[in-house]
Amino acid sequence: MSLDQPPSPLPGGGWASPGLGSTTPVDRRSARSTSPSKPNYGELNGGPVTWESAKASSAKVNSYRPKQQPSNRGFLARHIRNFSSGLPIFSRPATEDRYAEKEKLGRGRIPGRKPWQRWTLRDLKELPRLIGLLLLRRKKYVMMVLLFVLGVVLFNNPTLRHWYRRHPSLGGGSNFVIILGANQGGGVMEWKGPREWAIERDSVRNKKRYAAEWGYELEIVDLATKKRYAHEWRESWEKVDIVRNSMRKYPNAEWFWWLDLNSFIMEPSVSLQAHLFNDLATNTYRDINLYNPLNISHPPDPTKDNPAFTNYLDPISRSAVGDGKPESINLLISQDCGGFNLGSFFVRRSAWTDQLLDIWWDPVFYEQRHMEWEHKEQDALEYIYTNQPGMRPHVAFVPQRLVNAFPNGACGDDRGIPEGGCRSLIKPGAAIEMADLAKWECGLQGIHYQEKERDFIVNMAGCEWGRDCWGEMYNFRRLSNHLNRNRWEKFKDWVSESWRRRFEHKLGGAAAAKVK
Amino acid sequence: MSNVQFPYPRKSSLPAEPKPTRSIPSLRPRDIKRYGAYIVGGGTLIFFLVWLFSRPASTGQLPPGTPGAVIVTTLDPSTSASFRENIVANRKDYAARHGYATFFANTTDYNLMAGMPQSWSTVPALRHAMTTWPHAPWLFYLASSALIMSPHEPLSSKLLEPRKLESLMIVDRPVVPPDSVIRTMSHLQGDHIDFILTQDKDGLAGGSFLLRTGEWAKFFLDAWFDPLYRSYNFQKAENHALEHIVQWHGTILNKLALVPQRLMNSYTRDPAAINGDDGVYQEGDFVVNFASCAKDAKRNCEAEMEPMMTRWRELRDQERR
Repeated sequence: MSLDQPPSPLPGGGWASPGLGSTTPVDRRSARSTSPSKPNYGELNGGPVTWESAKASSAKVNSYRPKQQPSNRGFLARHIRNFSSGLPIFSRPATEDRYAEKEKLGRGRIPGRKPWQRWTLRDLKELPRLIGLLLLRRKKYVMMVLLFVLGVVLFNNPTLRHWYRRHPSLGGGSNFVIILGANQGGGVMEWKGPREWAIERDSVRNKKRYAAEWGYELEIVDLATKKRYAHEWRESWEKVDIVRNSMRKYPNAEWFWWLDLNSFIMEPSVSLQAHLFNDLATNTYRDINLYNPLNISHPPDPTKDNPAFTNYLDPISRSAVGDGKPESINLLISQDCGGFNLGSFFVRRSAWTDQLLDIWWDPVFYEQRHMEWEHKEQDALEYIYTNQPGMRPHVAFVPQRLVNAFPNGACGDDRGIPEGGCRSLIKPGAAIEMADLAKWECGLQGIHYQEKERDFIVNMAGCEWGRDCWGEMYNFRRLSNHLNRNRWEKFKDWVSESWRRRFEHKLGGAAAAKVK
Repeated sequence: MSNVQFPYPRKSSLPAEPKPTRSIPSLRPRDIKRYGAYIVGGGTLIFFLVWLFSRPASTGQLPPGTPGAVIVTTLDPSTSASFRENIVANRKDYAARHGYATFFANTTDYNLMAGMPQSWSTVPALRHAMTTWPHAPWLFYLASSALIMSPHEPLSSKLLEPRKLESLMIVDRPVVPPDSVIRTMSHLQGDHIDFILTQDKDGLAGGSFLLRTGEWAKFFLDAWFDPLYRSYNFQKAENHALEHIVQWHGTILNKLALVPQRLMNSYTRDPAAINGDDGVYQEGDFVVNFASCAKDAKRNCEAEMEPMMTRWRELRDQERR
């Protein structure tokens, strides 16, 4: 018996034996079939079937054409099996083996290693496949993790972060404008030296970074002495015009923060919202009697000097705290040891603010008082607050250390804070002793910058009179950088520090021994 | 090898494990269809109610019984009681016709500085009236030298209606004639005006004006009454101070409307100084003001006003008959 093709199994079971085609047809009905599932074509066709016709119809159904595999093929074909076996296999072909019942147990699972089996190199080779399989099986979780990672990446993307922190309905950063008065007296009154340039550079960079970090607007204004503000003519009231111009320039911003050039934001990672504006009610005080270096009599009482007269003021103007609602605050200032300080203050866009900025400078006031008003616009504001009772319900005060901390030497010496910080003065169940507070830089009387309390900002007010502006600026910049190191920097510093300490200890010991 | 002949895996003969029942019943699409509309509707209703009742009361309507305006007059206690009674009767008559309130204060009621002219008491009196009637929308100041002669028309239709005011107000006119560089603003809307007054030949006429109550009025009155203005010895005291702040402060100028003088502040023909005929009182004018006599301490205003007072009483009694 010569076969033109080797016998090959049919998918339905049984064997195709083409070599038998030339012999007499077998009566299939009488012949034993090798497999019970093998269809009986002869019956279906209704008649005796020849091998040829059966083969043809079988090919139609199964299109099974066993082919002779050429033994010598290309590189890819020869190695493709090796490549593909390295790829994750997504489903195990059910036809691979017949013992489906057994396979059922392992299906859909990662082929595990029995505890008594030992790790082999093969296990390691299997690893990528196993991971692929794992990812495929846990699609939902993989997706969630991916989304989380994507979110973290986007959240920390500087451009995107700037955008959402700025957006009025997300971070709300564009509601704030920082107005930085640069070039004080520049051009006319003083000649700027390298120190002044350096101060300006550092201060501007500090504000720029802060504004960019939180999405605020930064308006750097030139305070160079101008003719129209020159001698005895609104000198130093240009602040008012600048604030007004900024309000025009940023029509959607709400709060405008005036900052003197000699200031340094020590904690740039704290936003204004978190620091102050999210909770204006607790961060500010309306009643000036709580800390009143100017001894302004409050609430205003026109009958004070002579009680025979009628008090004509409305209840809100007569109240010590105005209407007490944080929404009515339109001007936020701090008080140093000598009264109002305009080195760092906030105004809110409002009709009242327009009125204040309008009445702030008046020729009749100026004519009568310019000799007394040493601090010019600051004294004028104090005067208006004192004498126009309708102004008071719109003004709130902030403890100086929150927005305008002074360095040691401005406004007297630093009184320091108690051992456990200012919080240690608050004892549960007991009222805070005012005398205790006054001893330290705590509470409303706190004026000087406290490193331990991580004060937000420092204002080197008055450094141009007898103090070293650049030196202070430099030291505060260094301190701020030091306090706000990231973890890696802290770790590096810790390593070098401990190394140095050890080394120096040894060196010191050796030196000491030598001396002996 | 008993299973070899079966090409397909056999079904398990064990009964399927029951699914654990959920503790929270899930919302089926059918439920959403059935109840969704009610849930959304109920939520909207609750939201609407919360919104309705959480609004501040002040933005709403005025409390009942609030007068549409308060007529404010400062009286000099050194004048005769009968004169003061007549003035009060004159104001009250007008107020009663239109549902306005009146507020009278003595010029000596308020703590002016020592040596200040009594006329400064106008400003605290207005502040006082605003405290007493916080919800009344307008204050109508009328000096004691003025009389209301034609009480038929209410202030609202005469002046205060924004469209009416826009048609009446004099724009782009020097605030202090003839040559002040500060002119009244040209593009103001009637409902943004808080301060309505007239001008005579010398400048702003402070004897009769209207002031809208509110935050702006507080600011304006406090600024006007500032001690540094009082101590500055303006020649005409509070009237010059007013001219000063109007010209120097834009937030005051842009709330101000000038209206023709005879609408609310006609002057009597003055034999001593001819005012020009523009502002001279004619029968039927709303207000007559003996302004020139009020400025001159030597003249007796009570006596000068007597004929006009008699005329007003005649007119009133005619009407009653």
